[in-house]
Parts: sequence; C-alpha cells; structure tokens
Amino acid sequence: MKIERFDLIIVGAGPSGLSAAIEAAKHGMRVVVFDENAKPGGQLFKQIHKFFGSKEHKAKIRGFHIGEQLLAEADSVGVKVELNATVVGLYQDREVVVRMGDEVHHFKGDAIIIATGAAENMVLFDGWNLPGVMGAGAAQTLMNLYGVKPGEKILMLGSGNVGLVVSFQLLQAGCDVVALVDAAPKIGGYGVHAAKVARTGVPFYLSHTIKKAEGTDHVTGVTIAEVDSHFQFIPGTDKHFDVDTICVAVGLSPMSQLLKMAGCKMEDNPKRGGQVPIIGEYGETSIPGIYAAGDVSGIEEASSAMIEGRMSGVVAAEYLGFMTAEEKAEKLDQLNQSLDALRQGMFAPKNRGKKITETEEGIPVSESLLHKGFVADDEIERYPGVTHRAGVHPVIECTQNIPCNPCQDACKKHCIRIGSEITSLPAVEPDSTCIDCGMCVASCPGQAIFLINEDDGAGNAEITLPYEFLPLPKVGDKGVALGRSGSPVCEAEVARVRSSKAFDGTNLLTIRVPAKYAMTARFFKTNAQQKEAAE
Amino acid sequence: MAGRIAQHPILGVQSENKKIVTFRYDGKEMKGYEGEPIAAALKANGVMVHRYTMKQHKPRGIFCAIGRCTDCVMVVDGEPNVRTCMTPLVEGMDVRTQYGVSDKPFSEQ
Repeated sequence: MKIERFDLIIVGAGPSGLSAAIEAAKHGMRVVVFDENAKPGGQLFKQIHKFFGSKEHKAKIRGFHIGEQLLAEADSVGVKVELNATVVGLYQDREVVVRMGDEVHHFKGDAIIIATGAAENMVLFDGWNLPGVMGAGAAQTLMNLYGVKPGEKILMLGSGNVGLVVSFQLLQAGCDVVALVDAAPKIGGYGVHAAKVARTGVPFYLSHTIKKAEGTDHVTGVTIAEVDSHFQFIPGTDKHFDVDTICVAVGLSPMSQLLKMAGCKMEDNPKRGGQVPIIGEYGETSIPGIYAAGDVSGIEEASSAMIEGRMSGVVAAEYLGFMTAEEKAEKLDQLNQSLDALRQGMFAPKNRGKKITETEEGIPVSESLLHKGFVADDEIERYPGVTHRAGVHPVIECTQNIPCNPCQDACKKHCIRIGSEITSLPAVEPDSTCIDCGMCVASCPGQAIFLINEDDGAGNAEITLPYEFLPLPKVGDKGVALGRSGSPVCEAEVARVRSSKAFDGTNLLTIRVPAKYAMTARFFKTNAQQKEAAE
Repeated sequence: MAGRIAQHPILGVQSENKKIVTFRYDGKEMKGYEGEPIAAALKANGVMVHRYTMKQHKPRGIFCAIGRCTDCVMVVDGEPNVRTCMTPLVEGMDVRTQYGVSDKPFSEQ
C-alpha cells in the first residue's frame, strides 16, 4: 500500500483551513488540504453581506470576496487543495484515510489540522422533516451559490445572527419572509441585523415557536404559538401562516468526529456548541501534532476562524522546525491582538448568557430592539451617533457594543469617532463638516447609518438610506416611508439614487418626507410594493 | 426558468455563462444548468419531494443542502442513494424519486 507523506495535512478548505494552510506554506511546509466539496471556501462563498470588525479583519468586505482573496493567497503560496476528497479516517501516527471517487487513499502528515467546521442544528416539531423545512444554511446555499429561490413565502425560526442575516438575504433574493420567530424572549443576534430586517416590514415573534408544519407531501403552512418562561405553549395563542418553506436557524454543532476518532480528549461544552476537543490556546489537542481550528473547536464566526486557522498554521510550523520559537511568539502575539479585538463587546464569548442592561458608555440598552427587532422612536435619541444640526449629517443608529469600526475610517472628514476600542459606539463629532459623500452609509455592515437633512427649507427632510434590493427605485418614484418597525409613517418621494463601485453593491436611496418625519422614516417602498405587502 | 433569481442585487445575474442541459425527472423532461447540484435544478423546477422513506413512506426533500443529512437522496442513472445536493447535473441524466431504496413505487415493489 502506498502512503504519501506531507509535512502538514489539513482537513477542510473553509476559512480556518485555508488560513492555516497559507501560514504553513509561507514557511516552507509541504501542505495539502482535503475537502469533500467540489469547491473550496467552505461557507464563505454563501456570505454576501459585509463583514464586521476592523480593517485587519477585512471589515466591510463581503464574505464571498474575502473567500476569493483567501483562495488567491493560498494559490500564490503554493497550497495544494484536493477537492471531492472526503477524509473518512484519522488513525494512530497521524494516518489520514481519504475517499476520492471510488478509491480510498492513505496519507501521513507530520502534523494535522482539523478544520471541518460545523453543521446546522435542528429542533423537533410536528412535521419538522416535511419537504419545505430546511436549514437556514441550506436556503443560503440554494440562493447565494446556485441562484435558486428556496421558496416564495418563508417563515424563519431563530433570531441569532444566522437567522437574521439569512432572512435579509431571502428578501434580497426576492422571497417573502412572513415572520421571524424565536422561542427565546430576546433576539439573539446583532441588533443592527434585526433592525434592517424589521424596517422592511417583517414581523418578529419572540417567545414563540413552531407548533406544527402543515402539509401532506410538502409544507403548505405553519402554526406558531407563544411559549411561557418554561418554553411550554400557552393555550389560545396559535397563529397560522400560509408558507411553502420554513427555515430553521437554531445554532450549529461542531463536526468533531475525526478528532474523536483519532483519540483526542473531548468534552461536552455547551458554550462551544457541543462535542469539542479539549484544546490549548492555539488549537493543540491532547495528541501532539494534531490541532483543531475554527468552528470545529467551538462555534464562533468566520473572522475569528480565519485568525484561529493562522494561529494553528504557525504553531504547526514551529512544532516541525519550520520556524523559530521567537518567530512563533511574534506572529502569535499579533494574531492574539487581532483575535482579542473580535472577542470583545456585548456578544463576546465571555458574555454569553449574561444579561446586559447598559452599553460600555453607560447608556441603557434598547429593550424594544431586544424584544421587537427595532429601536423605539423614544429610545433612539440617547445614543451618541444620533445628533441634530442644520444641513446634511450622519445619524448612526448603532446601539450595541460590537467589534466593528469601518465607519470611522470611511469618513474622510472625520465626522465619526469610535476611538481605539473597536466596540465603542460611534459618535458624531460636533465640529465636523459632513460633505454628503455617503461612504459611511455604504461602509456600515449593519446598514445602521443614515444621512439626514432635517429641513431643506421647504418643510421637507431628506433621508439617505442604504438599499440592497431590486428593483432599485428611480428618482421621482412615489411611495411610503416605513418606520424602524416597518410600519408606514408617511408618504415619500425618491429624491436621489446613488450607485458607485466604492459603495460595493449598496445603493444610496434618498427619500423626501415632511420634515417632522426626519427622525422616524427609515425605509422606502413604492406604492405598488406596499400594496403587494399588504395583500 | 421558474424558481430562479433572474437578477440579484449583490450577485447580479447568476446564470451568466452557464450551459443549459436537459435531464429527466421521473421520465419527464426538465432543464437545468450543467454542473449545478441536481437538487438545485429540481428546486428551480418546483420539485419538492425527492424520496419516500422505507418504513413509513414519508416524503423527504432538501434539508441541509451540504451533503450531511442524506434526506435528498434519489435514484440517479439507476443508482439509488445519490445525494442530489452534492452531485453535479449532467446532460441526459435520469433522476427518479426514490421509494425506500428503489425507483419503483411501493405498490409495485
């Protein structure tokens, strides 16, 4: 039997696996990455939203573009990626067994990095396995990779970032999202992700879950009901929706089977998403030379997975003598700082499950945002990004401490200040001059920045908002302005539409409304769209 | 084609430069894009049910779309248990609903 040897074998060509491969290959290691899929990149190519973080984390770049950059970098340093190659075994002495086509091949790695990622969780309800019930990730795969609508009328279960982001992407694909439902009493994901869904008119049902998916051969409807604090259904609270699709976004579980098979010490750790290897600071498992990186060692997100991948690549390189201990320490120090920055704020792993009542600035959090998906009109004024002045100025409806700061760099006139802590709420500088360039609106991954001229002198206000839907309204189109809740607030007319390569797919829509609605109108629908939504 | 996103605000026209191929679904002629997963082509054609379970004859369709759950398996070119979400569509493919592990309805088995 022929066994091919590599310095480093990586399982999984997603964000962490590719990042690990890049670091290792840069230091002269002979690396191969196995992936069972036909295309590399893992889940990155399904992510069409702009990422959070700061410049070093590739913030404000869309996920699939980050994927393209990563592939190009891997290619440039000579990383070999074997696709349609399923690793079916990891045995003693780091022997890797791979199924390719109808053949099984054996390999040996002096070091192994497992970066197999995670799989979607499911919840059981009557009819949960009817055709038409699918993972939110499955819907994302269909629409963003293959250009196929997952359904026409869809109910989303789960208000974590996946549920919120995929709901928005379903709207972008032209699907109708009839409701966003979560058994928890509070929205799990970023407030800005919830707010951009809520203002389009999607209703949120917190403390609700699915009772039954209806239909004989496939989904034709769904009944949800309210639950009490023990997650028991409250009689008489049933609500029915006609839908053809139900998306489920109730978390992810690490795909850690290979590590278990290899004999790595494992633990059940709910904070990390389930069965995970017990690892050191840089992914070292209990078996020397075997490392874990990315979601397989604990559920987080792609940005931190990429840093973890680089860390494990560096550690493996030093373990095999491709790098000195000093070089390793220096590299890890940089990567640690980068990872630390991402793990701060209200949603940091260390804050999971904690009740947070105030921002880092001591401002009470928006209860409406947590329970309904949008900041209430009487809450918005207390945040430092929301100020008033004559002429056009940014209004930044960013109300939670999350690691993200592209707006600060986007404004060349220094109107926006976050400071050195990237989780701080953005504030508008009092003595700055806004030139209405729109870069802040387009660069905000949370789509939470608006440019507002509160009074144009003729009794109207002009509101510039980020718009990523089709068809793109035209100047002169008449319709309704929707509030943060998605309810109509007043009539509106499109005054200006801006598209630019620098905005990277985000269009800037300027609507004109009566001046008294300057601080409440936050979305636009044409009369025809609003009529369709009402039906 | 029905079920396709003609134009996407971020991704543009996703069908650009793709080759249309013909395949058969339970004997009926359908069209899809070469190389896309069989499941995507079926979804675009409005097919919801991929198989019926062996014991209870319950319908199953696309569930995970990344090759993990095996809910979407069908009989492809005579071979049962083919994961349609992972298998690329090829011109002339014969795709059939799977009943248990057969392409024959239970009444004929």
